[in-house]
Amino acid sequence: MLFKLIYKEILFRKLNFLLTFLAISLAVAFFVSFFTTNEASKRETIRLTRDMGFNLRIIPKETDMNNFWLKGYSEFYMPEEYVNRFWEFKNFSFAHLTATLHKTIIWNGKEVILTGIAPEIEPSGKKKTSMAFMIDTGMVYVGYEVAKLLNLEHGDTIKILDKNFVITKTLSETGSSDDIRIYGTLSEFQDLLLMEGLVNEIMALNCLCLSPDDDNYLKTIREQLTRVLPEAKVIMNTTIANAREKQRHMLEQYFAVITIFVIILIALWIGVLVMINVRERITEIGILNAMGHGWTEIVGLFLGKALLIGVLSAATGFILGTGLALKFGPDIFKITAGTIKPIYELLFWSLLVAPLFSTFLALIPTMIAIFKDPAVTLRKV
Amino acid sequence: MIQLERISKIYGELPKQAIALKNVDLKIGKAEFIVVRGPSGSGKTTLLMSIGGMLQPSSGTVRINDKDIYLLSIVERSRFRALNIGFVFQMFHLIPYLSVLENIILSTRHIKYDDSNKKAYSLIEDLGLSDRINYKPSELSAGECQRVALGRALIHRPKIILADEPTGNLDPENSSIVMKTFSNYHQNGGTVIIVTHGEDADPFADRVIYLKKGEIK
Ligand SMILES: Nc1ncnc2c1ncn2[C@@H]1O[C@H](COP(=O)(O)OP(=O)(O)O)[C@@H](O)[C@H]1O
Ligand SMILES: [Mg+2]
Repeated sequence: MLFKLIYKEILFRKLNFLLTFLAISLAVAFFVSFFTTNEASKRETIRLTRDMGFNLRIIPKETDMNNFWLKGYSEFYMPEEYVNRFWEFKNFSFAHLTATLHKTIIWNGKEVILTGIAPEIEPSGKKKTSMAFMIDTGMVYVGYEVAKLLNLEHGDTIKILDKNFVITKTLSETGSSDDIRIYGTLSEFQDLLLMEGLVNEIMALNCLCLSPDDDNYLKTIREQLTRVLPEAKVIMNTTIANAREKQRHMLEQYFAVITIFVIILIALWIGVLVMINVRERITEIGILNAMGHGWTEIVGLFLGKALLIGVLSAATGFILGTGLALKFGPDIFKITAGTIKPIYELLFWSLLVAPLFSTFLALIPTMIAIFKDPAVTLRKV
Repeated sequence: MIQLERISKIYGELPKQAIALKNVDLKIGKAEFIVVRGPSGSGKTTLLMSIGGMLQPSSGTVRINDKDIYLLSIVERSRFRALNIGFVFQMFHLIPYLSVLENIILSTRHIKYDDSNKKAYSLIEDLGLSDRINYKPSELSAGECQRVALGRALIHRPKIILADEPTGNLDPENSSIVMKTFSNYHQNGGTVIIVTHGEDADPFADRVIYLKKGEIK
């Protein structure tokens, strides 16, 4: 019965319904499309960061920075178990962590860099290998220049410092010192170089929830690090990924400001529409009351309508917002969001928030109307 | 049956106070037909609303069947109205988005009359609205609207009908239909209290009450 009344009233005052429905749908679409493109942007930034290399480099404290930048790695060493200490320090957030050992040697008359990589450690402590290379014992990857110079191919066996390795991958050109590298497992290269248990760099892909806009970012990390690893220092490379991350944060801030405006605007819009609706129906409230309908039923009539509109427009807004994000997102956010996928979790949130929002806005005028004396509202005109 | 004891109603605060009713004492027996008359602003509507449990007087008691209705909770009072009272207003106050039939059966929700639809159809027939069943109020004439309002007030067989200038907006023909309907209801044992300016209700009235400046003369 209640639903029938709501339904008939909506049909009777279509314009009011449509305008309210439109307002909430558009607001939901706005938020959904933003979150959908932003999520894609976040995903891509992380991937890019991964591709660009690790963004935190932890090196022995005594490292001379001139030499470091000239050679590309530290000449000093620190114990490999620093990784564990670093990892055990729970306050520090990171996505991936790995220890590496670098050493330049003359090989076949050329200078090459041997780089030993330990299996990565995830925050959970599990060893994981998906991010960088997964190199098996006895295997190596060779950089582009190394391979070209010596005509090396996948499957060839090479000898490095009296030990034989099988090439499982020749890497494509990177345009960096990586092209003159030979990658192997950390433990084997430590043996080879007689540097058991030593590394000269720990690389961490930092958690991206920290904003690089924050000037104190590096300072905070350094302070934290000094506490766990007094023998190390940290440098952060600002890559394109960081720039993009910055851009994304800027967009988020921009979005936060717009959000306030959108919410105020929509609240006013809907508030006015609800007020008009309630005013138009004030004698209806009075007559229902006179006929003995309890106030819960009358409140139900108005809030039920608001709830219904909220649910309908949440669903519509989600479809609309996702559609817009899928269709126009890749063009508008060329740099930050290429691959956009629907986020069904947002449907849940829309269905939760939009009805609450519209019901809340309907609550106040409804209550005011209901507490108006029916003897007054039913007076002649 | 209906007993008003020293009812006063004061609207607003000083200095803009309006005294609508002043120490009104009134007894109305079962199945009485009462006409209330008086100049505009004399407190007629206020009196009717107070009897109907819609407007709490500033002082005094309203007893219906020995029950002080303003001692009931709001919910109980709603229920009391639903079971006992039928209102008819000058402005009809029909629900604009409901049809004739729906407007009439809307007030039966609280009452478990299994035959409410059947009753509605026979009422509609009696009121000459058979060919208007699915019309909306905006598609009806004033007289038809008031007949729908009568149907709505009568369908749940209330013990009391309170009508506030029900014929104020009607032509003589429709006015007479309204009065005849009240008279019928009265003859079947109903109590009618009707506020009216005209004299069209007088032939049916058991008693005429004159209000002046909130007092019964
Ligand atoms: N809601 C109100 N606020 C203030 N004064 C009111 C209100 N309702 C009625 N009055 C005043 O109370 C008096 C009686 O009103 P009412 O009962 O409507 O009289 P009637 O129905 O006889 O015209 C009038 O003077 C009117 O101005
Ligand atoms: Mg009046």
